[in-house]
Amino acid sequence: MGASVRLRMEDVTKRFGDFLALDGVTFEVGVGELHALLGENGAGKTTLMNVLSGLYRADSGRIWLDGQHVEIASPRDAVRRRIGMVHQHFELIPALTGLENVVVGRETSRWWFRRDREAGAVEALARRFGFTVALDVPVGALSVADQQKVEILKAIVRGVDVLILDEPTTVLTPQESDHLLATVRAMADEGLAVVFISHRIREVLEHCDRVTVMRGGRVAGSLAIAEATEAGLVELMIGERLARLESAGPRPAGEAIALRVEGLTVAGRGAVPAVRNAGFSVGRGEIVGIAGVAGNGQQELCEAIVGLRPAAGRVELDGRNVTGARVGARLDRGLLYIPEDRMADGILPTLSVAENLVLGLHRHVFTGRLGYDPGRAVAMAAAPIAEYRIAPPSPTAIAGLLSGGNIQKILIARALARGARTGTALLLAHNPSRGLDIRTTTFVRRCLVEASRAGAGVLLVSSDLDELLQIADRILVMFHGALVADLSAEAFDPYRIGRLMAGGEGG
Amino acid sequence: MKYLAAIGIAALAGLLVVLVMGGDPGSALGTFLWSSLGSLNGLSQTLNKTCPLLLGGLAVGLALRAGFFNIGVDGQIYAGAIVATGLALGAGGLPAVLLLPAVLVLGGLGGAALAVVPGVLRARWSVNEIFVTVMLNFVAAFLAEYLTTGPWNDPMAGEAISRLVPEGARLPMISERSGAHGGIVLALAFVLVVWLLLERTTWGFEVRALGSNPRASRVAGVRQARLTVTVFAMSGALAGLAGAVEVSALHQRLILGLTPGYGIMALLIAVLGKSRPPGVLVAALGMATLLVGSDSLQRSVNLPASAALVFQALIVLSVLFAEARRPAARGTA
Repeated sequence: MGASVRLRMEDVTKRFGDFLALDGVTFEVGVGELHALLGENGAGKTTLMNVLSGLYRADSGRIWLDGQHVEIASPRDAVRRRIGMVHQHFELIPALTGLENVVVGRETSRWWFRRDREAGAVEALARRFGFTVALDVPVGALSVADQQKVEILKAIVRGVDVLILDEPTTVLTPQESDHLLATVRAMADEGLAVVFISHRIREVLEHCDRVTVMRGGRVAGSLAIAEATEAGLVELMIGERLARLESAGPRPAGEAIALRVEGLTVAGRGAVPAVRNAGFSVGRGEIVGIAGVAGNGQQELCEAIVGLRPAAGRVELDGRNVTGARVGARLDRGLLYIPEDRMADGILPTLSVAENLVLGLHRHVFTGRLGYDPGRAVAMAAAPIAEYRIAPPSPTAIAGLLSGGNIQKILIARALARGARTGTALLLAHNPSRGLDIRTTTFVRRCLVEASRAGAGVLLVSSDLDELLQIADRILVMFHGALVADLSAEAFDPYRIGRLMAGGEGG
Repeated sequence: MKYLAAIGIAALAGLLVVLVMGGDPGSALGTFLWSSLGSLNGLSQTLNKTCPLLLGGLAVGLALRAGFFNIGVDGQIYAGAIVATGLALGAGGLPAVLLLPAVLVLGGLGGAALAVVPGVLRARWSVNEIFVTVMLNFVAAFLAEYLTTGPWNDPMAGEAISRLVPEGARLPMISERSGAHGGIVLALAFVLVVWLLLERTTWGFEVRALGSNPRASRVAGVRQARLTVTVFAMSGALAGLAGAVEVSALHQRLILGLTPGYGIMALLIAVLGKSRPPGVLVAALGMATLLVGSDSLQRSVNLPASAALVFQALIVLSVLFAEARRPAARGTA
């Protein structure tokens, strides 16, 4: 295996602003090798592959293909160099058939769509690798696993030497994953170099030839599967941990329950539910963390608790049943929500900072004759702008033009201000420090700790294990929509949690 | 500034058109200004024209602020006009103090009723409001055709028009001699009303939040379905009122062709005025001047009837071009 090197990326570095996403990464894949790229969220796996497929340009570093130095400046270059990538999020057109999706933009004849000719070529390709997928029905009607196959066919139809699969198994059932990986194996055996991005250790150990582990933008280790063990890989993925935030630590847990969830099930894409029979509770004064790799049902869980998404089961806030209640009614019961996607679910991009700060609070504040009072909104914004050091410090600035960190501060200030008015039963935060610099991150975590000290229950859903280890009193681990473990602070063992997050055993 | 440049470009292009048609640009411009702004009669005509354009522009603008496209202003104008005419013909015995306000209010409600249909469909089942409003335009127009040729037809006229509404249902004139009716006063009042609604009420704040980011406003607890329906109702009411005014003040009856595409012009007006009431006012005045002015060019300088449309299109394109050249405000996540 790996007798000759097909791909070599050498000393690749990539920055996004102040953030060092890739730090001198060197990575090699041999001909006919199925090579796993393993790491936590934000470790740099996808960034590295986006450099290879021409979506990003590296700040420095070199790429060799079959011993030849190449420049890859655009996705077009990558296609020309016979590099194909299947992205984590499908890029299929649901109304077109599988065949049409595969050949769109790369038809063999210029003017006419020669269905028979295209179909013959694609079907031959599918047969060669043992793909069983209906190519003549609209893609929207296919299962997720079959859509995945169409994506792969699309990537290889023009002929590739290097195939990159970015977390292709995340949305698949274990059986579907095994089937897919067997297919990928067959492609590697035909001489392709396959890069398989994953966070599931077991799949890697069972199917791959070699594994490279990334952590914090660097290569933590690269070894042949024969030398790899589950424990060893987890250790490479996780590395050293941050110290616990000094203000955290166990607090006397009160009797009162802030949030109780029973038998919560949320439908997902396809047949697999996004959340399966979740049950847990968060006490007042307690910080409960939900750990898990992104895409294991966390977003759906949050939205079901907030009331944005229909769900089966029961949700209680502060001892009162709010199952089926409107979002607003839940917020009025003292639920504060800091959504993960601040641009999509949080900010009003065209309105001012003051207007953003008052959203949600407006029905409580403006009770005058007409209601809304812009002067009052601006006046009210002064305190949070100063306290949270929002920049620029102007209440009339257009919120959409602020940086991500400042937008996040607005969302936190907005939530906590609402809590000050309605009382806070539960603060639900989903990846609240994602993409923030270290200072803002610490600030956000302190806000959560302080909310819990003030008697609120805090539910922190995070794919950053360090964040949870730093401030959570209890950690629940979410995998494939189910809560697979409930660990208290004394039992925090990053390796064990890492294994659980990757679908392994917790023993 | 940018808009002045755009209007300048359009005016230059307009003069070019006049030259090509063999007219004298100097006298054309003079006629244009005199007939739309300079003379008392012309000014009155411009103000009368402004009324439906302004109310329609406010209707479209209000919906746009919430992120909805109300392409159904024409239909809602007919709906308002039909309800207003029906009431005026049926309850003509009432004194003017009662009848006139009732005609205007019910006209508004008629427009609102028609607009609530796409509102509910959008709020409940996420049906695209563009299709529904466009389709309802046909429904309302055909209903107006049926009524003006059938039950309400004025047998003396031999056209698709209804009988005259009674005196008590007619909006007073500002100036009997020049023909300016009181609709413009109403329309101006609604500029203020809509501005107050949007900028000074909790409802308006939620409308603006919805238009800025529907997901985020939902996450913040805004009751979207209810808000959506009320936005459509309010938008339709403004258009319906425009219809009632056209009946009550201008034609004194329901006529087929009551709206020569005011709905589409309202769309342009709302876009040019950036959906803000003061901007909509300026755009509506400009559009009315253009319509009346080029109408007279047709008579005096012998320009074809469609010249007004050409000018309109030129101005709108110039402004949109100036708009598009400015980079849109975007978040820096």
